[in-house]
Amino acid sequence: MEKNVAVLEETEQTEESKSPTGFSIFWREIVRDKLALISLIFLVLISAFVYGISLFMNQEDIVTVDLFSIHQPPSSDFWLGTDYGGRDVFGQLIIGTRNSLSIGILVTLMSGAIGILFGLIAGYFGGTVDNIMMRILDFFMVLPFLMIVIVFVAIVPKYSIISFSLIMTLFLWMGIARLIRSKALQERELDYIQASKTMGSSNFKIMMTQMLPNLSSIIIVNMTLNLAANIGIESGLSFLGFGFPEDTPSLGTLLSYATNPQTLEFRWWIWVPPAILILVLMLAVRNVGEALKRATDARQRRG
Amino acid sequence: MNGMWKFTVRRILIMIPQVVLLSILVFIMAKMMPGDALSGLMDPNLDPATLEELREKLGLNDPWYTQYIHWIGDLFHGDMGESFRYKMPVSELIGQRMVNTFWLSLVTLILIYLISVPLGIISGRYNDSLLDQAITGYTYIGFATPLFIFALVLLWIFGFQFGWFPTGGSVTPGSTPGTLDYISSKLYHLLLPAISMALIGTVGTVQYLRNEIIDTKQKDFILTARAKGASESRVYNRHVLRNSLLPIAAFFGYEITGLISGTVFVESIYTYPGMGQLFLESITTRDYSVATALTLLFGIAAILGTLISDIILSLVDPRIRIK
Amino acid sequence: MAFLEVKDLKVHFPIKGGIFGRTVDYVKAVDGVSFEIEKGKTYGLVGESGSGKTTTGRAIIGLNHITAGKIVFEGKDITDPRKTKQDFRKNVQMIFQDPYSSLNAKKRVLDIVAEPLRNFEKMSKAEERKRVQELLELVGLSPESIVKYPHQFSGGQRQRIGIARAIALKPQLIIADEPVSALDVSVQAQVLNFMREIQKELGLTYLFISHDLGVIRHMCDQIGIMYRGRFVEEGTTEDIFQSPQHIYTKRLVAAIPDIDPTKREVHMQFRQKVKEEYEQSYHDYFDNQGLAYSLQPVSSTHYVALPEKG
Repeated sequence: MEKNVAVLEETEQTEESKSPTGFSIFWREIVRDKLALISLIFLVLISAFVYGISLFMNQEDIVTVDLFSIHQPPSSDFWLGTDYGGRDVFGQLIIGTRNSLSIGILVTLMSGAIGILFGLIAGYFGGTVDNIMMRILDFFMVLPFLMIVIVFVAIVPKYSIISFSLIMTLFLWMGIARLIRSKALQERELDYIQASKTMGSSNFKIMMTQMLPNLSSIIIVNMTLNLAANIGIESGLSFLGFGFPEDTPSLGTLLSYATNPQTLEFRWWIWVPPAILILVLMLAVRNVGEALKRATDARQRRG
Repeated sequence: MNGMWKFTVRRILIMIPQVVLLSILVFIMAKMMPGDALSGLMDPNLDPATLEELREKLGLNDPWYTQYIHWIGDLFHGDMGESFRYKMPVSELIGQRMVNTFWLSLVTLILIYLISVPLGIISGRYNDSLLDQAITGYTYIGFATPLFIFALVLLWIFGFQFGWFPTGGSVTPGSTPGTLDYISSKLYHLLLPAISMALIGTVGTVQYLRNEIIDTKQKDFILTARAKGASESRVYNRHVLRNSLLPIAAFFGYEITGLISGTVFVESIYTYPGMGQLFLESITTRDYSVATALTLLFGIAAILGTLISDIILSLVDPRIRIK
Repeated sequence: MAFLEVKDLKVHFPIKGGIFGRTVDYVKAVDGVSFEIEKGKTYGLVGESGSGKTTTGRAIIGLNHITAGKIVFEGKDITDPRKTKQDFRKNVQMIFQDPYSSLNAKKRVLDIVAEPLRNFEKMSKAEERKRVQELLELVGLSPESIVKYPHQFSGGQRQRIGIARAIALKPQLIIADEPVSALDVSVQAQVLNFMREIQKELGLTYLFISHDLGVIRHMCDQIGIMYRGRFVEEGTTEDIFQSPQHIYTKRLVAAIPDIDPTKREVHMQFRQKVKEEYEQSYHDYFDNQGLAYSLQPVSSTHYVALPEKG
């Protein structure tokens, strides 16, 4: 045995142990892509700003109707004027951005968790299990998402932010499930999965501790892109009046004031800022997501 | 051809349980809605015993599956219940609105193809040119812009600021149906909503076409055709486009899903009296029999749209069948 | 009683077709294979790709569904992996062909080698670490390797990690599926010799699967030659290499390159002769579907697939 050890003693390796596709590649790609870097900085700043400043704001005050200051134009008291209930638009904008971001992240994480689990199970087991699960997924895909969600929102008793995010989650897990399933189908043929089976690891353990880490980068990419989409979906639903409850402003709620032709035509300061914010938020998150996507695909990598 | 038939039959077989499941889901939602067919219709002063008798007679006390079978049976006879708000059969009410939504969707679809095909071709053929960059910029913004914001902005600019388009309704009040004025007024009213939907809806198709063309350009048979001295436009018309355009023609069924949610937003923003607006209105006024019927109809439309597109696509591109 | 006994093993994969995806036919990857392995010996399975040798190995360890047949390990039936006791199954382990895909790239060596330990032994973190370091030393890697990731090792080193993982539970039988065919020729011999050393040291039994007759000759005590899911010949290494009986085996053996350049001409002629014989007598050795017949004894250790006489 001795001589063998001598022959095969490892070559000098001084480099630090790092996971081969760690976050460093993501980070490098974002730094290379100026637009993504600016977007990321913007996102960090705006989140810090709205979460920070809303700590000092009293939501009760802001959403309380004040009949003496209805529809005021911008002034030093109300930077963006007031709405039809005399409520400060700027304050609602801050809290609305915070709420929209929060629910976007919450829904993305919850639908991500369901989608990943569903996709992993379907792809890992394959065969009949996969077949049945994919038929269920197909059914969810073909549902008229918007209308079903609206009906649910309308009929759920004791409607709250929690029930709203659960309803959204229920109909938004399919995209990531499909992606994970197709990757898991490829991954399960690889020998490291087979090896785990021969070593007595349970199926659930193999899925969660062996397969999942190998899908982590595409999961991060997909969830980032989903976040952008979910911010848009939430604001759309709130715009129609089927999103956040009345007393909780979101960017979409502010925009819905523009369905009043008077507001749309003469009081741009109420609805243009949230419109721009939604747009910029979605673009920024997408920019980051696209850069991450390039990082996972070696052929498209910039650096 | 055998493979195609197998695919078609299998695809239709998959669709049937989808429709059944959808109807069950909609039925459950209908049952979960507060109140039933009677609560909206009846005189509130009716005494409870008579009400109970009526309920029994209408089968509202039957087990859910019996009620479901009844409900399905009624649907097949075109009976979707009664709208308590408009005091008319739901089918009739929807029939009135459907015409408007149909034309709006049709014009949108036509616009989508009119815009996306040339843009996609230019972008793909002259990729990395200035023109391509402009088109890519448009798709980049369009991809991230929610339809309702875009529609609001168009309404604000072209409806209110410039006054070029009407800001609501589907026709100028007082015009006589059937006249040329009437038709042009209808078209005029649906143009801006259709444009806003089309400009957002076209983005995916432009990107798809661009990528397809750039991919096809690199393929050997194109290089061969070029090497044989075929003129550039001949290469494009005969080889590149034939491969890229056919799948796009099949996409219209998939667009239906997008059009459905699109009409809900656009019709509400432009107060255009179509099915989408009727849907929102029926939810807010708790006219639930209308909401239920519309959800079912939209759902079936989406299922059929995907079915048609899947089948056409499998004809055009046999790779789809291997699944 | 044999240590491992495989009785009339069949592994058939369904071919789906038709509108409902019904099973229309089967691929008979393994179609009635029987053999026995003695404790402490190495049994070689040889065949070209698609002959069913890998499927046989994977079926024994439970990775492929067994259509029919029986696998008896130390007198116990382990045919159905779901009915087999877990701690019994730990006695059979596997070394995989591809040292790249068989190690999870996202895991440190410690986690890779410790995976079987965590499933079967209750060890503290410190004990586990110590055991993994011992195993790494045993396979000739430095104990510091535990914090590294697979991509920091060469192919030969990776295969040693795979071996360390396979022997972690002190198994009795190791199924080695082409363990060196993905490695450089220069490294192959090292890994093979090392496998023989640990065999002696730990008293291991190998089922050695390979397409390389040279490697098989070097490693094995007994050999089974597979062709299209069936055995064409079985015997001791001597039987197979000194007196191959089946025309298919003859051709395989003739195809082994000769290192001695002076005999090149002779070897060429010999090979040509075997080829002619193969073509002429093909129908004496294979049935009308081109499959091998069932095995007939030639001596007490040597069996050949021949049509039954009479």
